[in-house]
Amino acid sequence: MYKKLMALLLVGALLMSLLVGCGPKEEAASNDGDAQETTGGTTEEGAEQEVEEIELTFMHNLLEETEGGAAIAFRDAIDKVLSENPGLTITEEALASSSYHTKIKTTAAGNELPDIFVIRASMLDMLIETELVGSIDEDLNADTDWKDGFLDGSFQAFSRGDKVYGIPLSAKSTSVVFYNEDIFNEVGIEQFPQNFEEFKQAVATLAENGYTPISLGNKDKWVAQSCIISTLGDRFTGTEWFDSILSEGGASFTDQEFVNALNAMKELADLNGFNEDSSSIDNMQQRTPYYNKEAAMFIEGAWAIGDVSKDAPEDVLKATKLALLPPVEGSKGRADAFSGGSSVAFVINSELSGEKRALAVEVLKALSSPEYGKTMTEYNKFAAVKPAAYDESKLTELTKQYMELAGKTTFTPVYDAYLSPAVIEVINSGLQELVIDLVTPEELADKIQKEYERTLE
Amino acid sequence: MAGNRFNVKKKTIWIALSPSIAFFVFIVVIPLVLSIYFSFYNWSGGPNMKFVGLENYKELLMDGDFWGSFRNNLYIIVLCVIGQIGIPLVLCGLFISRTLKFKEFHRTVIFIPVVLSAVVIGFLWSMIYSKDMGILNLILRSLSMEGLIRNWLNDPDIVLRSVSAPLIWQYIGVYLVIFMSAIQGIPQSVLEVAELDGAVGFKKLRYVVFPLISNTIKVAIMLCISGNMKVFDHIYIMTGGGPGKSSMVMAQYAYTNSFEMFKLGYGSTISIGILVLSMTLIMLSRKLGGAKN
Repeated sequence: MYKKLMALLLVGALLMSLLVGCGPKEEAASNDGDAQETTGGTTEEGAEQEVEEIELTFMHNLLEETEGGAAIAFRDAIDKVLSENPGLTITEEALASSSYHTKIKTTAAGNELPDIFVIRASMLDMLIETELVGSIDEDLNADTDWKDGFLDGSFQAFSRGDKVYGIPLSAKSTSVVFYNEDIFNEVGIEQFPQNFEEFKQAVATLAENGYTPISLGNKDKWVAQSCIISTLGDRFTGTEWFDSILSEGGASFTDQEFVNALNAMKELADLNGFNEDSSSIDNMQQRTPYYNKEAAMFIEGAWAIGDVSKDAPEDVLKATKLALLPPVEGSKGRADAFSGGSSVAFVINSELSGEKRALAVEVLKALSSPEYGKTMTEYNKFAAVKPAAYDESKLTELTKQYMELAGKTTFTPVYDAYLSPAVIEVINSGLQELVIDLVTPEELADKIQKEYERTLE
Repeated sequence: MAGNRFNVKKKTIWIALSPSIAFFVFIVVIPLVLSIYFSFYNWSGGPNMKFVGLENYKELLMDGDFWGSFRNNLYIIVLCVIGQIGIPLVLCGLFISRTLKFKEFHRTVIFIPVVLSAVVIGFLWSMIYSKDMGILNLILRSLSMEGLIRNWLNDPDIVLRSVSAPLIWQYIGVYLVIFMSAIQGIPQSVLEVAELDGAVGFKKLRYVVFPLISNTIKVAIMLCISGNMKVFDHIYIMTGGGPGKSSMVMAQYAYTNSFEMFKLGYGSTISIGILVLSMTLIMLSRKLGGAKN
């Protein structure tokens, strides 16, 4: 009798411990790491008419700690929508970019996407194929003011067929050369190289003088691809080649032009153009040798401008000039373009309908209004919309330089915004190997082509 | 059978076990079955799944990168069995000898890394290994041993050894505790008799202690193998599998395929591959160890 009672008690205790053990864990899961949940909402009691309560879920990577001004512009826009639409509640989940994109992919795999979310362009094909993302074409065409407010070509990465799927967060180059003019002068280079041959000589001269010519932090693997080879590749192949790759129009990664581009990358590495620890530091760390005047250049996107203006020592900042990767003589590419454009966008869930969808579109409109553009610009960020009149004194020296540079040129495609994630993975790790001489350009081109063919099947 | 000894009814045993079984089914069996199911599909999330039969498995057999990462795993396992089991055994010898002072203190210090998170360890050691600012190269430089300075995490020839060091360092404490408790299980009289018979120092360790804890050592080796088959976080933090794929391990290869290249079906196939290979290795180690139970 006692035994039975004892057994029951034990089972009870076990069950309790199980429940207790699980409880706090679940809570932690929704709140862990750098995730933060905020619920913004307006419940104006006693408004004249009864408003329908609508809740939108929104997952994004616009944390103020990591995205700075872009997050402030975002917050302003959201506050505006909320005050204009009583009854609307937006439940946000914000994560830092590094973990955000993994999480959104996992949510997509589990078919649990929120109502509004942020994606990289390379995810779009998959989401369309799985019918998880809704087109916003009709809404854009119905409101021409909205559509015309965007910069030319903003939708390029987010259109498939003739349908538009996303509202770009920003439009910026991924490939700007930051160089220290003082160091260049010191080793006797009077102006930034005008073509690739000169560029190679400059790299060699810098290396001979004990400087790291190009500081590269490629641990996370996208840096060499997104910031260097996307532009360098285009210099050699021209954009038609890339379009042909995308439309499966017969171009191949084993084409001589692309192999030449890879070879150019290898030549730079052979000239000791990059630091030796390039595959164990990341893109933030690649700026440190530059700040310490140990490196003469680094190549990164326009997003680095804000950080450099903030973090660089004064003399380095003063000597910092921006440039484009130099043109390659006798090749097909444009001489003055740089890779960039919009690669990240707000999209809406395909399951939204009726009032809920209309409100979601409202939110998107607020996130691409001229005022939003103004706030972005004043925080030295580069919106994809034409900004309302802004206060120019708030721009830093580098931002002005960049805007001048960008004003004269056009964007060419960034590889990882368009190619499938599988091909990108092969290119990314391949470039790491190329830089330390583990593969030849031909072998790498072959490997990329194989993965590309596999995705076409 | 065990039930009879304590005179407990079968039903009671099942009731008592059910919470743990339910838990096990939920977190191990169901995901495993799902993985097997997904491994027959070409799937990148969402509702569209294409059945491809055994295609994924064929691809896996021919996948040089997968076998490359398996080889890396094996290399790490060999290093870790030597380091994680060997070093604690030597330390045990010190702990049971009378010459070592402050035993408690030593044991605590050796155990501290075990409780650190893998991410912390990864960051810590990437800083230690850093080429220009790392403390390791700094020490080598100050001892004027410039010839030994390496680019620890960037040289494909040594990167596997570099990433194994933190793994070994972290887990020495675990195995030390396991071995020490096994040694405490040896009756004091046996050890005293051995000493009277002239087995002191290394001899005592070699001829008395090791044979008496040999079963524990076998279990430790098995733990070590299975633990290192699924090693992931340290290496992910330190090198991300790089440079290129030179420090890629199987778990990370599965992760990269699933969540970076977004081939969830193939990622599941890789996981099943890891499972099969791990089981084979464990069986092999049991066979070789001649485990009786």
